[in-house]
Amino acid sequence: MTAGPVEPARLWPTPDFSAPADQVALLPRAQSDAELSAELLEKVLHPPRWLGTAIALTGACSAVLAACVVYTLLTGIGVWGNNIPVAWAFGITNFVWWIGIGHAGTFISAFLLLLEQRWRTSINRFAEAMTLFAVVQAGIFPLLHMGRAWFFYWLIPYPSTMGVWPQFRSSLTWDVAAVSTYLTVSFLFWYLGLIPDLAALRDYAPERWRRRLYAISALGWHGSATTWRTQRIAYGLLAALAAPLVVSVHSIVSMDFAIGVLPGWHSTIFPPYFVAGAIYSGFAMVLTLLIPARRLYRLEHLITTEHLDKMAKMLLVTGSLISYAYVVEIYLAWVGGDSFERHMLLWVRPRGPFAPLFWTVIACNCGSPLFLWSRRVRRSALCLFTLTLTIQLGMWLERLMLIITSLSADFLPTIAHGYRPTVIDGALLVGTLSFFLFLFLLFLRFVPFIPVSELKALQFELRGRQ
Amino acid sequence: MKQTCNAELWAEFESGEAALSAVRSLREQGFASLQAFTPYPLPELEEALGLPRPRLIPFLALVAASAGAGGSFVLMWWTAARDYPLNVGGRPLNSFVTDIPIMFESAVLCAALAIFFATLFCSGMPRLNHPLDRIAGFERTSIDRFWIGASLDRQDTGEALSRALTRLGAPRVHWHTGSGAE
Repeated sequence: MTAGPVEPARLWPTPDFSAPADQVALLPRAQSDAELSAELLEKVLHPPRWLGTAIALTGACSAVLAACVVYTLLTGIGVWGNNIPVAWAFGITNFVWWIGIGHAGTFISAFLLLLEQRWRTSINRFAEAMTLFAVVQAGIFPLLHMGRAWFFYWLIPYPSTMGVWPQFRSSLTWDVAAVSTYLTVSFLFWYLGLIPDLAALRDYAPERWRRRLYAISALGWHGSATTWRTQRIAYGLLAALAAPLVVSVHSIVSMDFAIGVLPGWHSTIFPPYFVAGAIYSGFAMVLTLLIPARRLYRLEHLITTEHLDKMAKMLLVTGSLISYAYVVEIYLAWVGGDSFERHMLLWVRPRGPFAPLFWTVIACNCGSPLFLWSRRVRRSALCLFTLTLTIQLGMWLERLMLIITSLSADFLPTIAHGYRPTVIDGALLVGTLSFFLFLFLLFLRFVPFIPVSELKALQFELRGRQ
Repeated sequence: MKQTCNAELWAEFESGEAALSAVRSLREQGFASLQAFTPYPLPELEEALGLPRPRLIPFLALVAASAGAGGSFVLMWWTAARDYPLNVGGRPLNSFVTDIPIMFESAVLCAALAIFFATLFCSGMPRLNHPLDRIAGFERTSIDRFWIGASLDRQDTGEALSRALTRLGAPRVHWHTGSGAE
């Protein structure tokens, strides 16, 4: 027996993809490159019949959003239920909720790429598109909430004749920087990964107009080895930038609250608490969209039960983080000794007028993920779908609770005031949901939503390791 | 008359494994400066071709990130402490800590834009036509075909390379005139 070179000790074991079990779990059906490409590209060229109807329907419902936006702009935000002191309410709840949902896409794409998780391959583009469209919805609310949305450019530092500049010591200007950077970087990251597949569609599509359209969008990609190498290095670098960006964006959003002095907001736990919540709701949204899509497009062999299981485990982890954050938040208020904080966290929320809201949040966000300890639930599409809807409801209510409880009962009892949303508030929320789905369905219609070249590369890699 | 176009020789392979072993074998036989087109990234093929690691893009990313962070800090310092000083409850006008979030975001934004556009630039994109498109069947490169080739010197007839490629299992070998293939 010869003594070979000693393997250096590793912090964690390298996943062993030579095991056939992994291949079966992630890519159970062995397909040739041509078959795999044809299958996935055909989904774009010959979409299922329901897609047109669904696009028309969500497009029509998006008109509700347009109508509400126009009405709000023409009349003023007095048509919302906001009041003084509850000046944020639905608008900012929706903003934080949508931005939070937008976190999972880049998380899946960037973090899981850096951690070399193979299972991200079939879902990353789907999740990233969801991110982009969710951030678009989020952006609508702060713009409208400004009241005079047409002056939004005052937020941008430009030399003006007014001689004033934005106040960069305010967390609201940080928000502008964070959200616009996030949207731009997510788009670049998504597009850079998409270019090879647009080129594949250019070469595959039979119709001239499609070939033209995809030729322009593919920017002349030809797939030389040098280009692939450049693209992969750039993609890795963008992932390395996007990963801390994901963490920074919701941290900054949380500072909108934490920098304020209101009881229930002024807490150092907010950034990690918000980031965990964002990834939690984002993974829930990815599953909500993925489960029906994989069924309707018959993609169970590419988005497998194993993928659902892994995402469910992420839900379980982030759900546990959220539950821990709730406990710590209350504990900090109790041990901190500030009587207003104590009043807010120990009385107003759990026992006061908002108690039903508080306990619904606890049930949805802390209770429902407990089902995910069961392997059978994690691997059942229907159970997961129901749970993800519950979690999203819970996360929306959580933001509403954080915002309206602290605003409606701060330091002075004399200015305490309740809050009641108006029809326009509700219609805006429903409108953004439709608009989000509308954009998402358009994405399914025109873009190969499963990364074809990445899947082929994964297949090659798994084949080589066998 | 000066010759402006180079002759190129391109061979089609039907699988990544075949292309990879062909490149390895050709390199062993002494054929240098090979090029390849593939439908998906093949890190082993890049190694076998001996492609250099692109250093420009990471460097540009670093420069852009530093410029973004530095530039945004200067902007915030100048607007808050010099051009438009505003006393907010006696807080310092130039407060570095509150500048950190925007400095970080600007660094990431500038670096990402630099990476994206540098990638396009280094890859010769955007371009709307490519000389190799004239080879019949080349469009399958984005689906499932692998092309290996080299540009030939003026004296080289390419017979040796062509024979080697055929021996390695390439079903089709094309002579192609035109420049611009990377």
